[in-house]
Amino acid sequence: MRLKNKSSAKTAETRKKRLLSLLEQQGLNIYESLDKGRFPQFVIPSRSVSNIVYDKKIRQYILGSASAVRSSRNMSQLRSYTQLAWLAFFVNRLVREGKSSTLRDIYYSSQAFSIDFEDQPESDNIIVDLEAVLTSPREEFHIFPEERSSVFGDLTIEYTVPGYEGKRMNLSDHPDGYLIGPSLSSAELVDTSAELVIAIEKGGLFTRFVEEKVHKKFKAIIVDTAGQAPRSTRNLLRRLNNEMGLPVVILADGDVYGEHIAMVIKSGSANAAHLRELTVPDAKWLGVWATDIEKYKLPTIPMTESDIKRIYDLQKDPRYQEGNWKKQLEVFLKLKRKAELEAFSKYGLTNITDKYLPAKLEESKSF
Amino acid sequence: MSKETFSQISPSEFFYRNRDLAGFSNPTRSLYTSVREFVENALDACDQKKILPDIHLSIKAVDAEKPDPKHYILSVKDNGPGIDPEHIPLAFGTVLYGSKFGLKQARGMFGLGATMAILYGQITTNKPVTVKSCSDGKTLDEFVMLLDIQKNKPVILKHNTKEGSKTGLTVSIVLEGDYSKAGSKIRDYVYQTSLITPYASITFEDPSGEKFHYPRIVKEMPRPPTVIKPHPHGIDVETIRRMITDTHYQIPTIDNKMIDKVKKELALKKNLTPKEILERAQKRWSDISRPVRTVISVMSFLNIDFEGLKKIRIDDIDIANKTITYWDFGESQTHAVDLDPESPYYKQLASTVQGDTLLTFLTKRFQRVGPTTAEKFCEFAKFKPDKRIGSMTNEELVKLADALQKFEEFLAPDPSCLAPLGEEPLSKGIMKFFNPEFAAVWQRNASAYSGFPFIVEMGIAYGGDIPPNGLKVYRFANRIPLLYDEGSDVVLKIVNETEWARYKIKGEPPLVIVSHICSTRIPYKTVGKENVADRPELERELKNALQYLARKLAVHMSRQGAADMAKKRANLYSKYVPLIAQFATELAGKKKEPNYNQLIRMGSEIEEQV
Repeated sequence: MRLKNKSSAKTAETRKKRLLSLLEQQGLNIYESLDKGRFPQFVIPSRSVSNIVYDKKIRQYILGSASAVRSSRNMSQLRSYTQLAWLAFFVNRLVREGKSSTLRDIYYSSQAFSIDFEDQPESDNIIVDLEAVLTSPREEFHIFPEERSSVFGDLTIEYTVPGYEGKRMNLSDHPDGYLIGPSLSSAELVDTSAELVIAIEKGGLFTRFVEEKVHKKFKAIIVDTAGQAPRSTRNLLRRLNNEMGLPVVILADGDVYGEHIAMVIKSGSANAAHLRELTVPDAKWLGVWATDIEKYKLPTIPMTESDIKRIYDLQKDPRYQEGNWKKQLEVFLKLKRKAELEAFSKYGLTNITDKYLPAKLEESKSF
Repeated sequence: MSKETFSQISPSEFFYRNRDLAGFSNPTRSLYTSVREFVENALDACDQKKILPDIHLSIKAVDAEKPDPKHYILSVKDNGPGIDPEHIPLAFGTVLYGSKFGLKQARGMFGLGATMAILYGQITTNKPVTVKSCSDGKTLDEFVMLLDIQKNKPVILKHNTKEGSKTGLTVSIVLEGDYSKAGSKIRDYVYQTSLITPYASITFEDPSGEKFHYPRIVKEMPRPPTVIKPHPHGIDVETIRRMITDTHYQIPTIDNKMIDKVKKELALKKNLTPKEILERAQKRWSDISRPVRTVISVMSFLNIDFEGLKKIRIDDIDIANKTITYWDFGESQTHAVDLDPESPYYKQLASTVQGDTLLTFLTKRFQRVGPTTAEKFCEFAKFKPDKRIGSMTNEELVKLADALQKFEEFLAPDPSCLAPLGEEPLSKGIMKFFNPEFAAVWQRNASAYSGFPFIVEMGIAYGGDIPPNGLKVYRFANRIPLLYDEGSDVVLKIVNETEWARYKIKGEPPLVIVSHICSTRIPYKTVGKENVADRPELERELKNALQYLARKLAVHMSRQGAADMAKKRANLYSKYVPLIAQFATELAGKKKEPNYNQLIRMGSEIEEQV
């Protein structure tokens, strides 16, 4: 049994307190400005490409020191300033009252306050602005994306959402897995018998893994990332790694996108450079590597133009400049072919769990 | 040598054969052209007598059930001066040349169009024209007539006289037309005519009985044009030839009537001898008319009396050989008499036969040519100033016409023959028609191309009731709307070449441009007279007018833009600041909202930030 490492992690409660105090501070600043006849303003760290840099020390993208001022004095910014003030106000209510919302829900809720967003991308953008102002992920604002991924395995959690406070639950009770939603994201992680977290790109294989009892055979918690992992999923992976001390391994399709899914879990995305605590720097990419395609004689399909373009793009990314990451990109480029995780079923439906997974786990000990 | 036969055709027949040229090519176009001809004649008649026009136009189907094209009754009624009953048959029942021959601006050119419409109606329906006229305010004459096309003369079917109360003219014809196709053009025509004739009241009743009424907007009529002589630059060889024939006095036919005239002018009561007659003529020389002087001169050379004159026929006066040749009816033979160049009568005969000297011709027959200019011109053209125009050969005439075009020291053409509408009536018309947020008009000074004077008037209107469907150009020439062939017109060209963005006009602006060109001769591109050619002089005037107006519009747009911006800013701050205050109050955990009113005020006062 592994017990939660309380000293190394902020609990849900402390994170909530920090956020509420940040929001109150913003509110006081605005209030005071208005009262004194000054135009209030927000200082937002700039998310322009030139201000996104890769920090080798903490092994993720971070924002540089540049920041922009959004002032209510500037007529062209007045509207978006008000939108941002409204969002802070709305998030304050959500967090205080323990209510959850989605990106889409935020867009619609704005209308009740005569805040007009032209479309959802505009409101999504304001949410990212608030994330940057408060340096907190939107999940802490209780705002979640629509798409959700799942988790399955022996992990006991304790809810903190209103009405369920203190209630515990084990995540191996339901074979379909559990949605990584607002209540699970805000739950405290209590304990687990698992020794490993396996993040897998596809729902189909997630189900196969449960059926094949991978969680038992490998003492693993299985997470379905449903493609590129949503932030709540990346945050959960980080917490499993950080708070529970579990190593994280990643299985994705044998193509350039699969490789990048692994990279984002490990070191974040440029889109979320303003945020921390979404990365698992020690996570390991198990496969499918380009070299595995030849090694395991996997059936392949040819890459498309955009696949190849994506390889060239990633070759410019500082994280792909060395080691296995660099090597695999080069092999992909040489092969100009790709293989999906399902390719292993050519050698039997259980081939991937019986042969490939043990072999790669063994291999991973050396990198 | 074989003899060719030339058969003469009457003018009516000529037009009948060439009706396509005059705009009567099909039922649609013919209905439209007929409306135009009658309405323009009515307006011209009122203009000439300075009567504020009151025009009623109606088009009725003879049988409404029939499909188009079908027979329509077209009636146009005006409150003009009417026409003397004795002239009506000739005016409407014949095709006349040159009823408007002087040089001044008028809508129609020669007044032929109305007769063409009557002719077209008669050809297509075999129905007569009905003309009702009251010219004295007391009696109303009604004529029902047909045209005899071969003979070019009217056939009066009916004529009656009733009591009348007001002057005016009503013309009704029956013609084949297609209103379903011509309707929108006719409505446009009436609408636009009303715009450019704001001093007229125009009512149009269409075949469905719907009335389009355009009331009078201004009560003052524009200054009427005066008839003037041609400018030397606007003259070609053929025109000179006609002017010379015109000046070139004929040897009068000496008959009883002529002899009575001579006797009357010399106040002869009893028979005098030729010598006594000559003496009497000498005394009164400056008072007697030219034909009488010529007769007296002939008498002096032939030394005969009135009875003798009756018995002869003057055949030739040969100035080169200084002889006069005549035929004697009694003797049945030709006689030749020498002319004595020393005789005072010699000059009289010579100038009669050979016409004026070039110097006199130039100063008498052209506008703004004085003796000094005329002499300079003669020097330039290498003609002697006392050269007789009647003695000019064909080559010399061509040389003269050519020199008239090229000589640059003639004064610019006299614009008094032009009748622009004027800035005020144009502006009032535009305000009434479009109710715009902004309007400006400008009348340029007179200019000329090829000896024809012209004036450009232009108006611009923006916003208000004008729909934001993009720029609309209303083109007029001599107060006639130009509706067809828009694409190739010089006005459109100028408008399209303008960079509207420079004048703060973007997208599909609610913008109207009214362009009016007045000239004694509009340089139309085609016989259809719907599009104006791009003469450089005209183009320059149009461009200047448009740029001037566009700059005025730009000033308005900037002012409007600044006002809009301030208003928008004030609106934005009063909308958003209270919201921000509401959110901040709850965020900060306060009960009372901050005092944000001064911020709203400040917000609306901030200058635009770049």
